[in-house]
Amino acid sequence: MTKITLKVNGTEVSEDVEDNLFLAYFLREQLGLTGTHVGCDTTQCGCCVVHVNGTSVKSCTMLAVQANGAEVKTIEGLAAGDVLHPVQRAFKEYHGLQCGFCTPGMIMAAVDLIEMHPGPLTPEIVRDEMEGNLCRCTGYHNIVKAILAAADEMRPAALEQP
Amino acid sequence: MKISDRALKAVGKPLARNEDLRLMTGKGRFTDDFSLPGQLWAAMVRSPYPHARINGINSSAALQIPQVLAVYSGADCEADGLREINHNPVPSTKYDLKLTGKDGGPVFIGTHPLLPTDRARYVGEAVAMVVAQTREAALTGAEAVMVDYEVLPFVAGTVEATQPGAPILWDGQADNILVDSRFGDQATTDAAFEKAAYIVSDVFHIGRVTGVPLEPRAALGHYDAQTGRYTLYAGSGGAVRQKHELAHVLCEDPKNVRVLSFDVGGNFGTRNRAYVEFGLVMWASRKLGRPVKFRADRSECFLTDYQGRDLVTEVSLAIDANGKFLAMRASNLSNVGARCVSLSPLSKGSGLITGSYDIPVATLRSRAVFSNTMPTQAYRSSGRPEVTFAIERLIDKAAKQLGIDRFDIRRRNLVTPAQMPYLNAVGSTYDSGEYETNMDKLLRLADWDGVPTRRADAKRRGKLLGAGFANYVESSIGTPKERADLIVAPDGIEVVIGTQPAGQGHETSFAQVTADLLGVPFERVKITLGDTDIVSAGGGTHSGRSMRHASAVIALGADDLVAKARLIAARIFKADEADVEFDDGIFKVAGTNITSDWFDLARRLQELQLPDFKDGLRIRRDNEMHTPVFPNGACMCEIEIDPDTGALEITRYATVDDVGRCINPLIVHGQTHGGIAQGVGQALWENCYIDPDSGQPQNGSFMDYGMPRFNNLPFFKTEISEVLSPTNPFGVKAGGEGGTTPAPAVMISAVEDALAPLGITGIEMPATPLKIWTAIQRARTSKASAGE
Repeated sequence: MTKITLKVNGTEVSEDVEDNLFLAYFLREQLGLTGTHVGCDTTQCGCCVVHVNGTSVKSCTMLAVQANGAEVKTIEGLAAGDVLHPVQRAFKEYHGLQCGFCTPGMIMAAVDLIEMHPGPLTPEIVRDEMEGNLCRCTGYHNIVKAILAAADEMRPAALEQP
Repeated sequence: MKISDRALKAVGKPLARNEDLRLMTGKGRFTDDFSLPGQLWAAMVRSPYPHARINGINSSAALQIPQVLAVYSGADCEADGLREINHNPVPSTKYDLKLTGKDGGPVFIGTHPLLPTDRARYVGEAVAMVVAQTREAALTGAEAVMVDYEVLPFVAGTVEATQPGAPILWDGQADNILVDSRFGDQATTDAAFEKAAYIVSDVFHIGRVTGVPLEPRAALGHYDAQTGRYTLYAGSGGAVRQKHELAHVLCEDPKNVRVLSFDVGGNFGTRNRAYVEFGLVMWASRKLGRPVKFRADRSECFLTDYQGRDLVTEVSLAIDANGKFLAMRASNLSNVGARCVSLSPLSKGSGLITGSYDIPVATLRSRAVFSNTMPTQAYRSSGRPEVTFAIERLIDKAAKQLGIDRFDIRRRNLVTPAQMPYLNAVGSTYDSGEYETNMDKLLRLADWDGVPTRRADAKRRGKLLGAGFANYVESSIGTPKERADLIVAPDGIEVVIGTQPAGQGHETSFAQVTADLLGVPFERVKITLGDTDIVSAGGGTHSGRSMRHASAVIALGADDLVAKARLIAARIFKADEADVEFDDGIFKVAGTNITSDWFDLARRLQELQLPDFKDGLRIRRDNEMHTPVFPNGACMCEIEIDPDTGALEITRYATVDDVGRCINPLIVHGQTHGGIAQGVGQALWENCYIDPDSGQPQNGSFMDYGMPRFNNLPFFKTEISEVLSPTNPFGVKAGGEGGTTPAPAVMISAVEDALAPLGITGIEMPATPLKIWTAIQRARTSKASAGE
């Protein structure tokens, strides 16, 4: 057991955790934040993506103790109260989700992509950059559209320069 | 109820979904999101052998492990009198083709106990369960259970399992064949083949794939000794069905079983049959007095989720000198795996072997065989991609053989609208459709005329362009019964119904239907699903049945509800019932200025507490509807192959799908996209490969099972065609699975078109770069040696 202190969705938490506990299960089972899903346990599907210090991370293969001192944002912390994040709004408008299981990881990864990718986002870039997230329902078609639409709304002109 | 287009305000609109908000904000309710105080964890001991006798199970070492509480085997299940899962695998609605055993006898379906006592029959079959305080301890315990296996010869291959001398899975059976039925007219078919100018034949294996819902299957069972009731949290394709099946397993009155299936992370048929772990966690909870949870990891899902397809089909087409189809012969062989869970794929495919074409006579032999593999189940368009692949690939072959353009030969043979309803040669009655129109629309949508230009352009870039095409017709049958409760409260209308979505948007599309039928705003309707203490009956979601069955029973229920509301209004307003008129959500007493709407009526009724209407403004309606519908369409794709690497890129993909009435185009297009991806996946990447020497499945993770991904799929052009079905009130057929049905045929059609200049035919699915590259190398080598 190790005591860790970190910020989760803006709130400081201090918890004793098993040394072999993955961040995903720490969030789900110890903090009750079940929006972060686990689809494979092996970093292959992306359902578990959260942000750690502002960068997307597959939380099923990061130990909770590694997040000591970090700022973690999960899908539960993405919207500002009742105001959805632009990526969430775009997923709804473009029907970028069906069963919704991959959706939290998909949205968290997409937010990171839109915020961090230098240069314009094209369908090809979105498809290549998001390749580590799997979806079985949508054929990705509407997810790509949603991400591009959200990017149009979110991205400062500077990022759009090639 | 007759549906007037005037009343349709929400139906037909691409409304965003009611489901989305909770799913996008982390508030979904998937099975593993539930935990109960004091819960224990279960892990399965799984057979490492495809076939082995279980001579004993020693749990003493496992029980020494800290936190391990119990180890249970099949003998323990038997001692407690647990029954087998009664899958009821033989399709039995009025319009299902009737499958039989050999010589017309009953189908031998074997047994499916929670844990076997005699033999393990496939790799991954659970033979014991360990329950512990934590999941880690349960998994460690499972590794410590010593099973005394006597390894037996196995058979995994579909054709191999039918052959004399193959290891037999079930005692008392002469072989592994459980179904052997013949359909159609032998004499007239033989006569037609006699006089045919051409006979075109082929054999295809539509391989084994798996559904891969992204939510791993999970179950949380809780037995409450105070009430004597079981509760199971487990996502599925229909909680009501699971409730009854699990009550049977536990020898319990169904009223003492509650099943909760809220958000379900993908199904595709995979979750439509009960899993042994569901019964096991319920039983273990009773034995140990605490809730018990199970969660499969991804490898367990690859190994032991019910799998799909695996059909071998031998087909021949008799054709006259003008390219008109005269007759067809088919022999289909379905691999059901080690235990017979569902014969739906074989049955549904059997009724559609003649595809979209007017083939006057046909014979069909339908067989099913046991093998030492994971049981198969209906998967994303059960049985239809298989037979569509057979007829469409055969027609492409015939076109080449006869030297007729592939569209011309299809046009000469398509079933016409004038022939509807059309009785095909194996007894299926197609309800409606405009097949040639679909084809024409598609060719325009996809700019088929531009293929030669694009092919030349690809060639300049060193690529081989292939254009694939297929028509399809499929069937939506499904459990015939559905129930809806329609409940009007002062603040809204609730519909309780027994379907089970896994992403299909029932909370939205059913609300659209209800809103228009009752003349209320869409926002005022709420759909309740998935808790068997609230949902008393219902057929679940499979076979594209839900929109059709739901809209039908809600339409009937709406009629009843209006009738009841008129009675209530008459009483409240002291009018004659005959004078209460209803139009577009408003009740009006004729000749007065008295009007009321649903919510006003419900409020007044609540206040007045009329003794005759104590249950409030609500009705319960049951409907039984057997008549199937036949969604249909046309599909094309274009690919470019790099001949140096065998790499394939999909550059164009378009479909026209006749879904009947489209309730929500946003949802239907989305369903089609996902359906396409799954069909394309089977054609190009997906395969549950079993090593023939060891019988070991080789695909245990996303590293070794080829999934459709962001960067191997294109955008799709999908167009909806609405030819209303005459079989149900809204004219609904079905959407989504039409994306899957033609996809394998259309992809392989494109691959063969691309490779035709090299003289390559017969690429098997999945058409991986290695297979394509190898075929190209062979063709070049043989061309070179021929030239020497």
